[in-house]
Amino acid sequence: MKDVFSTYKPPFDVKIGEVPISVSEENGILIYRRQDDDDIYEKMILNGNSEILINPIEPVNLPKSLSPFLLIELEKPLVVSPKSKQIIFLTFPIEIGVFVSDKELRILDIFSFNNGKFTLYGPQNNGLICRYWKSEVFTSIPQINSLHQGAIEIEINNDINEWSEITQIVFNAYGMKIYHGDGRISMKANMKIQSRSIAETSFTLLPTTSLFKRSVELYTARKIAINVSKCVMEHGL
Amino acid sequence: MNNSTFFPYSLPSLSGIVLDAISVVLILFISLIFAKVATIYTQRSLKEKMEKEHLNILNKTIYYGIITLSILLFIFPILKIEASSLLVAGGVVGIVIGFASQSIVGNLISGIFLMIERPVKIGDQINIEGNYGFVEDINLVSTIMRTYDGLYIRVPNETVFTTNIVNFVANSARRFEYNVGVRYDDDADKAIAIIEDLIEAQPLALKNPVPQVFVHELADNAVTILVRIWCPPTEWYSVKMEMLWNIKKTLEENEIEIAFPQRTVWFANELSLKTKDENIK
Repeated sequence: MKDVFSTYKPPFDVKIGEVPISVSEENGILIYRRQDDDDIYEKMILNGNSEILINPIEPVNLPKSLSPFLLIELEKPLVVSPKSKQIIFLTFPIEIGVFVSDKELRILDIFSFNNGKFTLYGPQNNGLICRYWKSEVFTSIPQINSLHQGAIEIEINNDINEWSEITQIVFNAYGMKIYHGDGRISMKANMKIQSRSIAETSFTLLPTTSLFKRSVELYTARKIAINVSKCVMEHGL
Repeated sequence: MNNSTFFPYSLPSLSGIVLDAISVVLILFISLIFAKVATIYTQRSLKEKMEKEHLNILNKTIYYGIITLSILLFIFPILKIEASSLLVAGGVVGIVIGFASQSIVGNLISGIFLMIERPVKIGDQINIEGNYGFVEDINLVSTIMRTYDGLYIRVPNETVFTTNIVNFVANSARRFEYNVGVRYDDDADKAIAIIEDLIEAQPLALKNPVPQVFVHELADNAVTILVRIWCPPTEWYSVKMEMLWNIKKTLEENEIEIAFPQRTVWFANELSLKTKDENIK
């Protein structure tokens, strides 16, 4: 399968799933178009030499960028033995970012094939609003539609002397390292269980090849100074 | 400090006092411009990297810091004022100022406490004394609000500090509820299922805390279904407006109608109709 997540030199037409995307040139101005059902989303680019980059980005921007947190609820609770290390795979939603680049990158458009949903992690007074996703737990890389979902490999370290039960995992999008290519979209993360109700999650790097590349994440493109890329789950697992 | 430091080309026709006054005004003017330029530069370079609230405090610190420094370093020497003498004078002046500007000092101290306690932040949606709107700025002596209908309101900090403040966005989630009355003939279970599906399809209606939809009351004219939905506080109003109309439309599409007041009247005897041409039928 040809990887649609790539850099395109205008003018071009491409179909991401069922969504036609085109950049045409009209009087020296580039016109970006994305057809979404009956609506056409358009933007004008006042630079004829720009290139367009399409790749998966952090799944926390749609339908509205309200929070940098992604909460994945497990379909079945996971019980982890004391002082152990386990590897599991979950799915996560995909959002696709379209960037225009000429020396600098700038986000042009974001779309997704998934319906967004938000949830609250923690109590109502100081909990975290999170993008919500529900996933089965897999023990190997799941076979999924890479335009809709990606697979996240999570190394769970239960550092305590007790059994731990996990029903949900929260990630901070500032720090997500998303990879694509070879027909899949992947991330790798760690979860350190520090007590019965506290854990810390973070992302780690994956080895890249010519076919399996790192995405340009939104926070990288926006040059946001990242202070905290980890997420401390202090309101229960 | 010698005046010639500031004005190398001396003006012999002006007396020393006038020259000092001009120097003070000029220095004050230059330091005000410098402070303004510095805050604009900070605002532009840190706008996307800092929270608006923190950036505002930083800008105010820079602005007033530059002015204070210029007064201490340049204006006091011109006026031949020693900072240490201010401590002595300060006691007497403080009492005078205290009496003369009691409310200003009260507002100032309230402003400092507001910045420490932070019951409201810039951008928050609040209600102070019946004024609903956004906090636009928190200054040393007053808080600036923009009401929902676009009015500018300046509230003295003492008022903000001493009255009840309702902050609509201080917590992470906010709930709203509807009473949906359907007819007794309609299937309430079906209506509940439809409303639950609509909540599920609305991205900003939170998955957790779990929304509640249940038959709340068997009222005179309708079976009342209570719908409780939690939202991010900033999206509360738009979701509340959108969901209510969606519920009404979707229920009607499924032949479930919103009940209106009605009364069934039973007659003890059979009804009869009398016309001009006929006797009682």
